[in-house]
Amino acid sequence: MNKRSIFPLLGAIALLLVTFALWVPHGLFFTVGNLLDLAQQVSVNAILAFGLTLVILTGGIDLSVGAVVALAGVVSVSLLGTAGPVVGIAAGLGTAVLLGLGNGFCAATTAMPPFIISLASMMIARGLALGFNQSRPLPVGNEQGFFLAIGNERLGGWLPLPVLIMLLVFVTSAVLLHRTRFGQHLFAIGGNREAARFTGINIRLHEMVVYGLCGLCAGMAGMIHASQLFSAEPSSGQGFELNAIAAVVVGGTSFSGGIGSIPGTLLGAIIIGILDKGLNQAGVHFSLQYIVKGAVILTAVWLDVRRRDKK
Amino acid sequence: MKPFLTLLIAGLAPFAFQSCKPSTEKSGQTASTKMFGISMQTLNNPFFVELNNGLKAAVEAHGDHVVTLDAQFNSLKQKNDVSDLLNQQPAAIFLNPVNWEGVKGILIEAKRKSVPVIVVDAPVSDPDLVLCQVASDNFEAGRMACEALAKVKPAAKIVVLHLSLNRACIDRVAGFKAEMAKHPGMAILDVQEGKGSTEGARPVMRDLLGRFPELDAAFPINDPSALGCVSAIESAGRAGQVSVVSVDGSREGIAAVASGKLLSTSAQAPEEIGRIAVEKAYAHLEGKPVEKEIKVPVKLITKENVHVTPEAK
Repeated sequence: MNKRSIFPLLGAIALLLVTFALWVPHGLFFTVGNLLDLAQQVSVNAILAFGLTLVILTGGIDLSVGAVVALAGVVSVSLLGTAGPVVGIAAGLGTAVLLGLGNGFCAATTAMPPFIISLASMMIARGLALGFNQSRPLPVGNEQGFFLAIGNERLGGWLPLPVLIMLLVFVTSAVLLHRTRFGQHLFAIGGNREAARFTGINIRLHEMVVYGLCGLCAGMAGMIHASQLFSAEPSSGQGFELNAIAAVVVGGTSFSGGIGSIPGTLLGAIIIGILDKGLNQAGVHFSLQYIVKGAVILTAVWLDVRRRDKK
Repeated sequence: MKPFLTLLIAGLAPFAFQSCKPSTEKSGQTASTKMFGISMQTLNNPFFVELNNGLKAAVEAHGDHVVTLDAQFNSLKQKNDVSDLLNQQPAAIFLNPVNWEGVKGILIEAKRKSVPVIVVDAPVSDPDLVLCQVASDNFEAGRMACEALAKVKPAAKIVVLHLSLNRACIDRVAGFKAEMAKHPGMAILDVQEGKGSTEGARPVMRDLLGRFPELDAAFPINDPSALGCVSAIESAGRAGQVSVVSVDGSREGIAAVASGKLLSTSAQAPEEIGRIAVEKAYAHLEGKPVEKEIKVPVKLITKENVHVTPEAK
């Protein structure tokens, strides 16, 4: 975890917060309610981005996460009524992990590029999701109190559960990446694959686990997503992978692997979230919102690349 | 040095755009006028652009202002958009739902914050949670389309290009099928997802034309997908053999009827839907009771009346 890469991100967040606090009319941006709302809106993207950070660190990529969000959601919701919440959620998460492991297996054992592997698995996962309920949304029954709580309940009346889940995933993945030997090995694989192989790191095993974890993150995001929408939508989640990749790269993770951090990704996701929310609330036309987001991503990554070249 | 550059650019970018905004919008926000939020499922379709214009014009006629957000067919974006609007103390929200099951969370949140929600165009599955729903008579629109088709081809072999996520389209297809029951010679060969857009419908229609040589009619659920259908029929060399009936009455759709490419389009009145929705919102804010379901009539446009219809601007 490099402090020099975290401080500029914190500074950018502070500046964005000040900007929107002044810009959004009647001072309605900088309120506790609105900021908690922000945290809730960031949660799905951040959870996807934590999983992707691990994959991108090893020099890989997973484009299938958006489709897996939809697939995990429909698998769980279709089983809720008959098998109950525990089996339903386990089946959804299990499906997501299996798809992730499939990506990992192909990436680890073949010479196919991960971009193509996950492009193909994205289509397969989307097709599987669309096979449910004639591609129509599956409603979550009102009696499914536990499942609906995942996305909508607030702990102690104020802390949204998706935010709590996001923080748990954050802590777990940060410890895994930055405080364990497994995490060290991921940096080594991304930095120099050949060197990592010669030091005796089991690259195949590590890649399988990393893609599996990425699938698990997508599955968890899928549970929150379906719960928040009171239904599982087979066609939902399109483009989620791109928003998550944006959070990862704004957070300072190198697309060629070997450099990056989980806290950086969290801050990247928060920056994207503040931009979405702030521009919405400032009444900026939606066409300009895209341009601003694109410009911010480009600027952030450009500055990051320049800083590294200087070293 | 570099962090400061990051800060500078990140901080200044939004301000640069703020100065681009027309000054009328700014003055509208600072005065003590009411704000109305609008969340549209898409603005990549002339119908929704006109609906938005209708809402905007009617609200501005009262001296208030609107903020419109485009959900781009993404339910999660719509949920986030509406909660952003709800935190700005709007007088009311006009909601055009992406997923008619998926907006329940939004409606509960609005209820908690006591902001009335008026649903426009596509209904939601929990009408109890909204003030009222203003929509075209979609069942009738689908029924009219089938009736127009039956006059020309009483034994038509039909394909339907659906957008089955959307309740309005479900109703159109239901109306179509209800009228079909009166014409035993008619048959539906297949129902496929046309995605409600020109680029979505075109390849689907091409494949259907290849699969069914006997196919001689199509019911795409809106004008954009009808235009995709027409384009596929022309490129397959089957122009004149396959009749297309649609629902919308968009400018492009009416032009296609005039040139004989479409047999009919059941015209909706998007600006009228917007005007009525705003009327109901203000009536509620003044404490008057408002009816729950308002169906706005549709009008069949065929070659016979295409030149006299007022929508053909």
